[in-house]
Amino acid sequence: MGLLIIDGHEAEADQSRTLLEVAVELGIEIPTLCHYKGLTPYGACRICVVETIWKGKSRLHPACTYPAWEGEVRTDSEMVRKARRFIVELMLAEAPDAVEIREIAEKLGIEGTPFRTPDDARGNKCIMCGLCVRTCRDLVGAGALAFRGRGENRKIANPYGEKSEVCIACGACEFVCPTDAIDLSLITDLTPKPLVSEFDTGLVTRPAIYLPFPQAVPAVPVLDDEHCLRTLLGTCGVCEQVCGPDAIDYDAEDVEDAIQVGTIVVATGYDEFDPNEKPELGYGMYENVITGLEMERLCSASGPTMGEIVIGGKSPKDVVFIQCVGSRDQTVGNEYCSRVCCMYTAKQAHLVKEKIPNAAVTIFYMDIRAFGKGFEEFYDRVRKEGVVYRRGSVSEIYRRKDRLVVRGEDTLEGEPMEVEADLVVLATGLVARPGTDHIAGLLKLSRSSDGFLMEAHPKLRPVDTASDGVYLAGTCQGPKDIPDAVAQAKGAAAAAIVPMSKGKVTVEALTCVVDEDLCAGCKICVSVCPYGALSYDEEKKISTCNEALCKGCGTCAAACPSGTISMGHFTSEQLLAQIVALIGGGNG
Amino acid sequence: MRHVKDIADLERARREIMKGRDPDARVVAICCGTGCIACGGLTVADAFRSEVDSRALASKVRVLTTGCHGFCERGPLVVVQPAGILYQQVKPDDVAEIVETSVEGDDLVERLLYVDSASGEKIVREEDVPFYKHQTRLILGRNGALDPTSVEDYVAIGGYGSLAKALDAMTPDEIVATVKASGLRGRGGGGFSTGRKWESCLKAPGDVRYLICNADEGDPGAYMDRSILEGNPHSVLEGMVIGAFALGVTDGYIYVREEYPLAVANFTRALDDARAAGLLGVNILGTGFSFDVAVARGGGAFVCGESTALMASIEGLPGEPRPKHIHTVERGLRQRPTVLNNVETWANVPLIVDKGAEWFAAIGTEGSKGTKIFSLVGKVNNTGLVEVPMGITLREIIDDIGGGIRGGHSFKAVQTGGPSGGCISEDLLDLPVDFDRLAEAGSMMGSGGMIVMDDRNCMVDIAKYFVGFLKDESCGKCTPCREGLRQMHAILTDITEGRGEERHLDELEYISWGLEQTALCQLGSTAQNPVLTTLRYFRDEYRAHIEEKRCPAGVCKALVTYSVVADACTGCTVCAKKCPSDAIEGEPKKVHGIVQDKCIKCGICYEVCKFDAIAID
Repeated sequence: MGLLIIDGHEAEADQSRTLLEVAVELGIEIPTLCHYKGLTPYGACRICVVETIWKGKSRLHPACTYPAWEGEVRTDSEMVRKARRFIVELMLAEAPDAVEIREIAEKLGIEGTPFRTPDDARGNKCIMCGLCVRTCRDLVGAGALAFRGRGENRKIANPYGEKSEVCIACGACEFVCPTDAIDLSLITDLTPKPLVSEFDTGLVTRPAIYLPFPQAVPAVPVLDDEHCLRTLLGTCGVCEQVCGPDAIDYDAEDVEDAIQVGTIVVATGYDEFDPNEKPELGYGMYENVITGLEMERLCSASGPTMGEIVIGGKSPKDVVFIQCVGSRDQTVGNEYCSRVCCMYTAKQAHLVKEKIPNAAVTIFYMDIRAFGKGFEEFYDRVRKEGVVYRRGSVSEIYRRKDRLVVRGEDTLEGEPMEVEADLVVLATGLVARPGTDHIAGLLKLSRSSDGFLMEAHPKLRPVDTASDGVYLAGTCQGPKDIPDAVAQAKGAAAAAIVPMSKGKVTVEALTCVVDEDLCAGCKICVSVCPYGALSYDEEKKISTCNEALCKGCGTCAAACPSGTISMGHFTSEQLLAQIVALIGGGNG
Repeated sequence: MRHVKDIADLERARREIMKGRDPDARVVAICCGTGCIACGGLTVADAFRSEVDSRALASKVRVLTTGCHGFCERGPLVVVQPAGILYQQVKPDDVAEIVETSVEGDDLVERLLYVDSASGEKIVREEDVPFYKHQTRLILGRNGALDPTSVEDYVAIGGYGSLAKALDAMTPDEIVATVKASGLRGRGGGGFSTGRKWESCLKAPGDVRYLICNADEGDPGAYMDRSILEGNPHSVLEGMVIGAFALGVTDGYIYVREEYPLAVANFTRALDDARAAGLLGVNILGTGFSFDVAVARGGGAFVCGESTALMASIEGLPGEPRPKHIHTVERGLRQRPTVLNNVETWANVPLIVDKGAEWFAAIGTEGSKGTKIFSLVGKVNNTGLVEVPMGITLREIIDDIGGGIRGGHSFKAVQTGGPSGGCISEDLLDLPVDFDRLAEAGSMMGSGGMIVMDDRNCMVDIAKYFVGFLKDESCGKCTPCREGLRQMHAILTDITEGRGEERHLDELEYISWGLEQTALCQLGSTAQNPVLTTLRYFRDEYRAHIEEKRCPAGVCKALVTYSVVADACTGCTVCAKKCPSDAIEGEPKKVHGIVQDKCIKCGICYEVCKFDAIAID
């Protein structure tokens, strides 16, 4: 194989690859517009032209289609720059409203265009790169878009100019368009439902294959089977094409594994309170009413806005926080305090002041619970930074012109009040997850009145449960902040190690005994046993008792309709004999 | 025609056909090419048939409707054989006289003979007419001798003999070597060596190959391929079958535009007849070799004449070119090795196989061999299809064959090579017709369009016309072609409408550079030729438009005014009567005048005035 030299960098010539692929690998930047990794190279926009020199002869070729043959290639020669300037100048005239083309022009040092914008191109953004058409046809498999007309009359439109019947409103055309020229409402009557990033609390969209969150372990993308075009329709397949290590397997299915374990630590976490349950706060109605978790992503440097607090494209000037949303609130059935909202609100208020120093921040609170280490000091610091803490209860949020009005009562002054805001953050509380019931049933755990899982003893056994070998950690047991969750998790882990390192457990002296000859296999005992000690033996068709789990409570014995189950050392005969002895019966 | 069993049987079949024909019988060959049909050729043919029937001559006289003879200027054309008498501009009313005088009798109908414009003499025989005399009609010459819908006619003049020779006496490699040695170059425009193309295709990996005949002729004013397909479809088919044998191809296509209905009909008929005669399809001439051709009809997009766009169109995709870094001989139709040649190229193949590479290579110049067909149109006296040996000068074509410039005007330029070709000025008229020499002059051979222009043609307007044509016919896929041509056309429009600026010439050259360097296909990368050549040879005209706001040829309406020359005006009132906007006033026998506010500059007064009393400034 011959030698390919791109801008002085050496590479192996390989006809099966394109110059662009090789250049990208070498870290050489070549501008592209009509190129997209998963699509067949098209060579239409011509912005990627490079100078090829073969036998002393210079020619321009588009890097996206030109094979990586041997010879010399220059990607930034005078000839290349002149050609790119020509192309960009034509595009500036063709698509005067395409911001992206102006940005490319700026990057290439092109100030304007000598060419005129034709009358029918005013307001145009489309540069006819065809990515939308090709994506819809080759990847989505719908073919809802096509080129119409030729030459200067070339347009991108639905066949026959009618709204498409085959468009599935997947939005892929919009996604690939380099100049934001697609108006989906002209293509279909369907409304696209973009997939939103769960981790970024719906603030941004995500593709059907994605890394759940930046620190995910293992750092491997997951395929959203319910939305992947390849699994749904058999089309697309871009991820497979672009994956270098060939790691995509569309046929992979979810697998259920049965694992034998000695102990279980339940750490299923919590859910954020749904503020839609308090419609008076306007969440879901006003774009600038958000939850604490959404605010958290908005402030995060790795979040969708890179940590910039912007809402509706603007930086807010008046920010109001409302605490105890869904906590200490009998109207929604949550009497408990969520324990973290006071401090995360203080932290977020601090971040607002830091990022937008002239913003006015007001926090409405019921009581401030700054009980942890350093918490009170932080609360003091935030107040000194100018954050206004106002004790009050908010009755409603509504819009006045383009601003929000928070209305309620100042409970210190006993006066009604109104505050205008550009951004309202609801300090939403913590609630038990909907799946808690399922877990509790599976592991025979109890739940406390707040819906969270119940520990064996509130003071003495805070990580244990009534089921031996099952432990609790974190917010599944009740609202708590990170240090508390970590502490409890460490405790649960340590507790879980004890029976495993012993290798055996002490069986209760008193356990139930099933008379195998009498048991009819009605399974009533299995359903009533609070410790999961009884199970049904499919082979013998009778109930059997796991003595390691049985606490000898006797529920099963009482429930057994045929009296088959008795309690060890407490058979009816033994009890009767004791009664007889007590009343002085017997021989006399 | 009966089925031909094997190679030897073809000659037997030919003799059978000849036996049924009287060699002394009179043949009336009526040109029914598209040009003559437009002038009433078909009614003339009908008139001959009924005249022959009514005189009960059917057994002695053959009325032959043929394809294009070439001399379209003088249609409908009738040639009476074997004497070879040419009657021109024949009307149905003339038929009885012709039959009586020249078919039944041996006299001439003098008034229908061609009169040589130079000598004023009447010329009897077709071959003596200057228009034909200076040509070398290897391909077109056979058009007048056969009915295109008759395979017997083609076989009778030795047709399919080359195929028989190729199958019988040559190996595929020998055929390729012969075509290569002949020096035949692609007649579609590219001028690439046909033999080398075939050789590369044979070397390309893959067991399935395709062969295509490109009949998507789309240059304005060009109809060479059309006339071959309409007039002698079997010659093209024979070339394709020979090519298929040489290349080991079993499937071929002909891509022909739907706007050529007669070409489609005649070629389809030729396919059916050839199949029935055992000259196409399974087991051709009993040799075990099989090959068939499918007709792919195009929608008439000019760009579909480009090889990759054509192949995309055959595949059922939009007719858009794709990059050809890897040539179509390696990766063509359906990504398989494909040989694509133009109609005229295929029609040359049987001649080369029949007469040998040396014979062919003896015709023409060092780099360009054989003959080339041109459609000679524009301001010449004799327009039509001409077939000339390579190396003939443009002057010979225009003056000797074309009979010089019409109406006493002076020659200004000749445009060759279709819309992407260039305009050549008078000082280059002695340039030999040759692929390389025309390219050096900034034009190209192209597929054979030749438009002659005189002093009444504005070169800026001509450039605008061709750029406008290409702008409309560009597929619009790549940016430079779609947008560059649009900008180029806008600038040329500005210049022709009096808004020209000094910077426009630089901009035209800048766009030209960009088109040549960055356009995806040949349509775009040669589209600047009409502009560059007119800038090169007629820059003064551009300057006059820009600096003086004047169109020297008086074509650009925005820049001209019509006026009456008082001394010449006789007051005949013709101009006033014909003026569509009532802009001419004047009483009979008195000098007329043009009201400039009303004048729409249509030029009708100029055309109708018999006294040259209308002036254009």
